[in-house]
Amino acid sequence: MKLSFSPEDERFREEVAQWLNDNLTGEFEKVRFRGGPGDEHMFQEERHAWEKKLAEGGWTCIGWPTEFGGRASSIEQQVIFNEEYARAGGPGRVGHIGEGLAGPTIIAFGSQEQKEKYLPGIVNGTELWCQGYSEPGAGSDLANVKTKARFDEEKGKWVINGQKVWTSLAHESDFCFVIARTDPDSVAHKGLGFFLVKMDQPGVEVRPIEQITGTSEFNEVFFDDAECDANDIVGEPGDGWKVAMGLLGFERGVSTLGQQMQFQNELNEVVRIAKENGAAQDPVIRQRIAQSHAELKIMRYNSMRMLSGQSGSDGSLQKEALIYKLFWATWHRSLGELAMDVMGPESQILDPGQYELNRLQSMYLFTRSDTIYGGTNQIQRNIIAERGLGMPKEPKITAKT
Amino acid sequence: MDFTFTEDQLLFAESIKDFLQNEVTPESIRESWDSETGRSQDLWNKMVELGLTGMLVPEAQGGLGMREIDFVLIAQECGRVALPEPIVDTAMVVTPLLKDLVDKDPRCVSLLEKVATGETKVAIGHAANDLVSDAHIADYLLLTQGHQIHLLAKADVDLEAQQSVDPSRKLFAVKWEANDETLLINGSDGVGLLAATLNRAAVGTAAQLLGLSEKMVEMTVQYTQDREQFGKPIGTNQALKHHMANCAVKNEFAKAVLHRAAYTVTEKPVHGDFAVSHAKLAAGEAANLAAKNSIQCYGAMGYTWECDLHIFMKRAWALDKFWGHSGFHKYRLHQWLMNPNAKIGAEMTFGEQA
Repeated sequence: MKLSFSPEDERFREEVAQWLNDNLTGEFEKVRFRGGPGDEHMFQEERHAWEKKLAEGGWTCIGWPTEFGGRASSIEQQVIFNEEYARAGGPGRVGHIGEGLAGPTIIAFGSQEQKEKYLPGIVNGTELWCQGYSEPGAGSDLANVKTKARFDEEKGKWVINGQKVWTSLAHESDFCFVIARTDPDSVAHKGLGFFLVKMDQPGVEVRPIEQITGTSEFNEVFFDDAECDANDIVGEPGDGWKVAMGLLGFERGVSTLGQQMQFQNELNEVVRIAKENGAAQDPVIRQRIAQSHAELKIMRYNSMRMLSGQSGSDGSLQKEALIYKLFWATWHRSLGELAMDVMGPESQILDPGQYELNRLQSMYLFTRSDTIYGGTNQIQRNIIAERGLGMPKEPKITAKT
Repeated sequence: MDFTFTEDQLLFAESIKDFLQNEVTPESIRESWDSETGRSQDLWNKMVELGLTGMLVPEAQGGLGMREIDFVLIAQECGRVALPEPIVDTAMVVTPLLKDLVDKDPRCVSLLEKVATGETKVAIGHAANDLVSDAHIADYLLLTQGHQIHLLAKADVDLEAQQSVDPSRKLFAVKWEANDETLLINGSDGVGLLAATLNRAAVGTAAQLLGLSEKMVEMTVQYTQDREQFGKPIGTNQALKHHMANCAVKNEFAKAVLHRAAYTVTEKPVHGDFAVSHAKLAAGEAANLAAKNSIQCYGAMGYTWECDLHIFMKRAWALDKFWGHSGFHKYRLHQWLMNPNAKIGAEMTFGEQA
């Protein structure tokens, strides 16, 4: 064990810090510390421009292999990059679904043709992705997807029909990865395919969903004879569930590093306000701040421990990774509550304008969804108990057709 | 000892509950978000007819001459429907204060009469809150400065609207100047009245929080029966049952301390601080837990503007910080408990009897 960074890594840190210092200025000044959780609808255009700027500097997809446009950065360097990025106030990354989820999945499971077709757009920050998993009848029961994909021999294309929901940033995205049923007679996780679908086509309609924040970061997506090429299926028909679950492994991997740094920024803001408005004098508040800080460190160290022990580059994590979503989501929800209690009565007053939440208010509301999306806390506990601890599963009920 | 309500109290509350359930719906609340004042004069008139604005107004001033303990169940029902109109502030906060001032200032006599008949509306400011709610529809404002209580016509103050996280709430920063004319009371009398006002208001707020909490649980229990995943209602899952069971426990226990607090502000107001803060904390905790567990059981649907749940969640979050946030009330509990003369002996179930 060695809990420090090498001189080479520290030089890397200086390089990152210098680049951010030189570039996160001017037109990008206003996006500093913006676009994080609950703020993802803000400065979309400017943040997309920033994504391309990052790409020019070679700071997107740094953990990817060099053959696909990455830097093959070590875990240490990815940690350092994320630390410096957060410290500089780097905005929420518009490309994070492509870099963190779609890209690694294509690298792990995709064909050579798919890699050539899709990875460059992610690396250079031009093409944005969204995730077509949930449906009205397939939330916690994700395998219950009803969206269908049928191969049209005449056109030589896959034709997709159905509806996705809670699709984050679909309205800004160029592509969507979609789980759809390739075998119309199949049920549950069998008979699914994993498709790469272009959003800008007549068969795809995106309707924003208004959230309790009054903003619309996620959407309903309707596929009405939407098409993708014969080669835009990742793996074979029937492999969809395997690919989709492989992707979720990436969600719990290195993509968590940047998130924790955003958390640190939020907690620091809460501490700043507590000192400023006197809430820090309240011993109950002090204890909750200390608790929050301690738990964030736990999260951080546990990520380091898991990533250190990670073998290979396929992003798959060991059993302890199962605990992560439950812990961070619950922690973040508590941070929201702490932020409101620190602000006191002022927490209820909005900024002037049309339902203008301030940063901590939108964080508070957004954290209500943290324990729901990407697998609810209840589903996470089932996974920990059943897959992690080997406790017996509930008796299976045959899915309705 | 009798820790129950009388049949009359229960019947009256039941009839108000029926009335409110018919008049105030998520649809009507959403409509009010788009209206100019966010308030319905028509609904106010109906509530006046039912005697709600005059419930705690003495009979001599045309009211029903009832007391706080008679109103607490009504306040719960106002919370249950997330009533936007300030009936709890009017009946449980404004009129008892005016009543206490009847002997000091004749203006309060006519104000009481006019509030009871619905002719006049009065909003109230207090050091516990930064802002004054519903000042825009008020004819008069009761405002405080140090130990003084002042009465101003709305025409004599400047209002600056502030938005709340709850779109139903209408809050205002009030700029005003005190003078001899506006002064109603000063000195130690003022201190006592301000303290009593805070306690009544906190009980009224706690009652609304409890009503909101029960409503959220009711909605969520229904939703978990309707929504299916894995081929069965999601409420079949033990995890969700436990979420709702935890809320039910909080609600029932909050009810006991709430009703105890309402009794105390009615019968022994000078000993009310502990019971009131206890009730505000218990009801706030219950409502916050109900909001947290309800949205969790609703899943992503509960995070949408379209789903009615947020109407109730946001009211709960707002009221939890109104008339003393949890830190304020916990501090009062600490102060009371750690006092060398704290009445915490075994024989002190109901505190000081005198």
